[in-house]
Parts: sequence; C-alpha cells; structure tokens
Amino acid sequence: MKYFATIEDQIFEIEISSDQELIVDGVRLSVDFQSIMGRPVYSLLLNGRSHEAYVYPTESGMEVLLQGDLYQVAIEDERQRRLRNASSTQKVQSGEFQLKAPMPGLVVSIPIEEGQEIEEGQNLIVLESMKMQNELKSPCAGTVERINVAPGDSVEKNEVLVILG
Amino acid sequence: MFKKVLIANRGEIAVRIIRACRELGISTVAVYSEADRAALHVRYADEAYLLGPSAARDSYLRADKLIDIAKHTNAGAIHPGYGFLAEREDFALAVQDAGLDFIGPRPSAIAAMGDKAVARATVTAAGVPVVPGTEGEGNLSDDELITIAPQIGFPLLIKATAGGGGKGMREVNDPKDLPGLITAARREAESAFGDDNVYLEKLIVDARHIEFQILADGHGNVIHLGERECSLQRRHQKLLEESPSTFLDDELRTRMGELACTAARSVDYLNAGTIEFLVDKEKNFYFLEMNTRLQVEHPVTELVTGVDIVTEQIRIARGRRLHYAQEDIHSNGWAMECRINAEDPYNQFLPSTGCLTQVIPPTGPGVRVDTGVYSGFEISPYYDSLISKLIVWGETRGTAILRMRRALEEYRITGVKTNIPFHQNIMDSHRFIAGNYDTRFVEERFSMDEAEEGKEAEAHIAAIMAVLVAHRQTQEASQIVRRGERDASNWKWVGRWERMQR
Repeated sequence: MKYFATIEDQIFEIEISSDQELIVDGVRLSVDFQSIMGRPVYSLLLNGRSHEAYVYPTESGMEVLLQGDLYQVAIEDERQRRLRNASSTQKVQSGEFQLKAPMPGLVVSIPIEEGQEIEEGQNLIVLESMKMQNELKSPCAGTVERINVAPGDSVEKNEVLVILG
Repeated sequence: MFKKVLIANRGEIAVRIIRACRELGISTVAVYSEADRAALHVRYADEAYLLGPSAARDSYLRADKLIDIAKHTNAGAIHPGYGFLAEREDFALAVQDAGLDFIGPRPSAIAAMGDKAVARATVTAAGVPVVPGTEGEGNLSDDELITIAPQIGFPLLIKATAGGGGKGMREVNDPKDLPGLITAARREAESAFGDDNVYLEKLIVDARHIEFQILADGHGNVIHLGERECSLQRRHQKLLEESPSTFLDDELRTRMGELACTAARSVDYLNAGTIEFLVDKEKNFYFLEMNTRLQVEHPVTELVTGVDIVTEQIRIARGRRLHYAQEDIHSNGWAMECRINAEDPYNQFLPSTGCLTQVIPPTGPGVRVDTGVYSGFEISPYYDSLISKLIVWGETRGTAILRMRRALEEYRITGVKTNIPFHQNIMDSHRFIAGNYDTRFVEERFSMDEAEEGKEAEAHIAAIMAVLVAHRQTQEASQIVRRGERDASNWKWVGRWERMQR
C-alpha cells in the first residue's frame, strides 16, 4: 500500500511493503511500530532508531507531536491522490463556520449580535472555565448567522455557540 | 502543640503538605469536594471528609465547614495551602477564634499585605521602593481613575485590589481603551474575589519579576532563602521559575534580600511568605506585593537551599525557632520548575478538560514531580489547570536545562492537551538559554511555530508515524465491516444451513 504524506511543502512517498518493512522515498527501512499504553502514544523502531510520539487523527489527516514539535500531516493513498489530481480544478468554497466550545464553561458575555459583520480575530464569546476568562476569537471574516447561547449559560464541550455565514 | 493538621486545600499542594506532616509524624485530615473523592490528597491523608458540591464556593471556600471539621476531628491546626482561603484574614481570624493554630501569618499581616494600598504605604514607610500608582488612594470610581491615569502615564496596568494570579488585571496602552478595560477588570475581579475594586499602576517595561522567599518565626527571627526568577509568564500567569536568577549579582541579591526582610518585618510577619519585586533594565527594583502564604514555586528554593519550607512552616506554627540563621543559607547549583498545565499551547492556551487516560512522570537523578493526579483521574473545569510541577536540579544552569529537556521528553500524559511542548520549545530557545528574557518574552518574542536554528528536523519521522497510524485505522475499519456481515463463524453458518435442509 502506497501513501503520500504532506507536511507543509514537503511530500513523502511512503510504501508499506510488509509489517516489517517500509519504502520511504525509494529507501527500504526495517520498521517495528507499536502503540504504547493505548493510543495515542506510539513507539517506532526504524532501522533500530527509537522514536516516540503522540499521533492524533484530525479531520484532515494526522497531528504528530514529536520531541516538542507539532506536525500537521495530510495523508492520501494512491487512489485518493489520483482522484484529487483529476478534480483539482473544482474547488468548493464552504463559507460557514461553527464556533464550538473548546471546553465546558460558563458564557460570560457575547460582544456580537446576529447579522453583524465580523473580522478575522474578532472576539465572539467570553467563556469562563478553570477560573480563567477565555476570549473565543473568530478564525475568519464573515457574518453572524446565529447565536445559540446567552450570557450566564453553562455549555458543554463541542456545543455550537455561534454560526458564521 | 498540635499533633493533627487539617489541610484546607486540594491538588498537588494538599499532597505536598500531607507529605511534610507524615514525615514529621503529624496526623492529617483532608477535605474534598464531590469532584475530588478519588483525588490523591484524599487517598494519602489519614482522614478525609466531604465538604460539598464541586464548585469551590460550595466546598473549598466554605470556611465554616472547614473549621467544623477541624474541631470535630480534633485537628489542632489548619494549613490553607495557596489560593482558596490562604490569603483571607477573616478565615485566619476565624481559625484562631475557634482555638486552632493557623499555619501561616497573623491575620493582621494578611490584612496589611492583602490590601495593596495599605501594603504599599507600610513598606514605603519602612524604606522599600514601590511602583508609582493609585494604590494609596483608596477605592476610586471609574471617573476618578480616568482622571488620574495621565499623571501615572501610559502604558499602565489595572489591577484588582483583592487580586492575585493575574485575575482582574488589564494592560492599557491607549487612553481611549481605559473605560472599557476598567469595566472588564472589575467584572473579572468581582467573579474571582467577590470585590470589584481596582487601582492603576505604572507598567514597568522590560521588567523582570524576581521574588524573595521569607521565613519568620515567633521569636523575632526573619531570614530570606534567596530569590526566584519568575519572569517567564503568559498573561501574568507564571509558567516557569528558576533559582538563582541570571540577572542578579551578589551585591544586588544581598540588598534586595535585606529589603525583603525589612518589608516582612514592617507587618510583623510570621511564617513563610514571599516578597515580589519588579526589576527594570537598569536594575532598579520596586516592591510589587507580598504573598502571605506558601507559593506554588516554593520547590525551586527547596532544591537549591536544602530547606524544607513546609516543614519549617509547621515548626514555626508550633512556636519553635527557625532551624536556620541567615548565614546558614547557601544556594547550591541551579533549580528550575515547569508548571505542567492542562492547556493547549497550539490553540491559544485554552484549558483542556477530560480524563487523564495515562500519566507516566519522568524520574531519575535530579528530577522532582509534585502532583495531585494520576492515570484515570478527571481534570474538571471547576479548579485551575495545574496538573503538576516538574522541578529539576543541576550543578549549573546549563545542566539544569539539559535535565529539564530530558525530563519533559520522558513525561507522557494522554487524555488532555498539556503545555509540555511549550516548555520544550522554551528549553530550545536561544534567548531563554542565554537567560535573556523578561515578563513580555512569551507574549512578544516567542512563537511555537518558529523552530530554533540548528534543531534537527524530524519531519520524515512524523510523516512515517502518521502514515502507519492511518494505515492501521483503514485496516481496522475494513475488518469491522467484514466481522459485521455475519454474527457467527462460517462453520456455524454451514451447520445451520445443513440443519435447515433436513
């Protein structure tokens, strides 16, 4: 099975030829890969060199925390890569953004209103958790479509607070 | 003299105090909220009693219940730890009125240092320099603050009168932002301390935050245990502390240490406390505040001086003399502490809650981990985000940094996001290694995205591990589909089919 892993502008071609062998950019490497203490810590022995990292699946690939550095890795297999190359001209723009609560907490204030134009980085909600007031900022510009919460509300993790159009 | 101590706190500091008591042969009483039934301090104490629901105001802030439990269990003393009720003079007074010993300063000293205006006036009178500001002016209205602000000059800080730990604090660079920021600071102060009074203070630019550990007994002895460099902060929250400070020489250290003792004497201080100073580029120093309690970062001082501060606290509260005179205190080597918080350094340091599925702390030479949690424990949103303190000692600052790097990489925590990668990046930062940092370093001159030059790139390893995990997921997903097609093995299906044909 052959995969293409992309980190920023670097692309690695990685073929899993067997349980014990990888071919990385044409070079054969012996491999022993195990999950330590359950996911997400993994131990990798690569030609005898020992590596350990946290690997978290994300919506678009994997996040790897290795020696204090975080890598965003996009992964495609051969079929996905062919499909994408074939359809690369059609780009779909989905403008909607949902602000979800990153942790449970208490809504302190909402400095925006529905219908308002928002700039990137603008403060959408002030959420109190762990004795700290956290300003949740917008990652993009847009219009406030809906506000699902009111000041004083307790919210659960991942609850949708605000929808931007 | 008390033989049993109630610890009015939770988390790592409750565990720290229980350990000291146990080593001294003193019995311990833990208290806990509903969220903390399985916490380490409950498991380690001789006795443990429920205070109430998880929110702090219903549990760890219930002074009445704490005193009732102490009386009921015949505990002779209460140790407040830090945070919660540690700096509330009314609590210290209530403890004394109940006939119990308070392991900390006298209520009068808490009051004097707790009201920052009184604190400034008191230490100024004793000859200790302070930062210019409105603290001595009493509780001013918004309009009065806005009128006075230009006299102090911008940039300035809005601070909560009852505050600490950066809560209710706002920085003002532009006069037109002042009214809005005063409102925000008051709101945060009200929710954190139940007191919305704020004051203004000149912001010292390029400042270092250096504090001195004080010990004072009931026989008139006041000594200091040297300094802690606490400049590595984010939003006024300390993240890393070290001792000694690269910024002080012996002459300045002696002068600041003596003034710290003077400041403590000015309020007739008893027990352990900390004098915080701001030091500017020209090495002018200003009294900032006194923390009238045990500090989070006290282990740093313990590792370089060899003094067990909590044990000394208990000795002092029992009316004994200090074990040490000033000339007995020598700093040996270098100590460094990283606060390991449940915060995501890649996402604006937002707190992360959840179950700690696994914790493997670092061990080995020169490493100390103070913690109140373990694998399977739930990090709840009710309390602060401190998971543990990782403290290392080395003969020199260089060896301490190398040891900290080693320990951080050994530390494995899963289930919540932690700021360990942040500390790893700090340990690789050339400016930090050179000791060249101030209180703004993290916010203004440090980025998690910029790798330091000369660091070995391991992107290909990350790519390989990501692919191997993705490959595994794909395989597992396809196996699940195949298993679901039939609920029994093929041999059973053949058997059933054959029976049907009979």
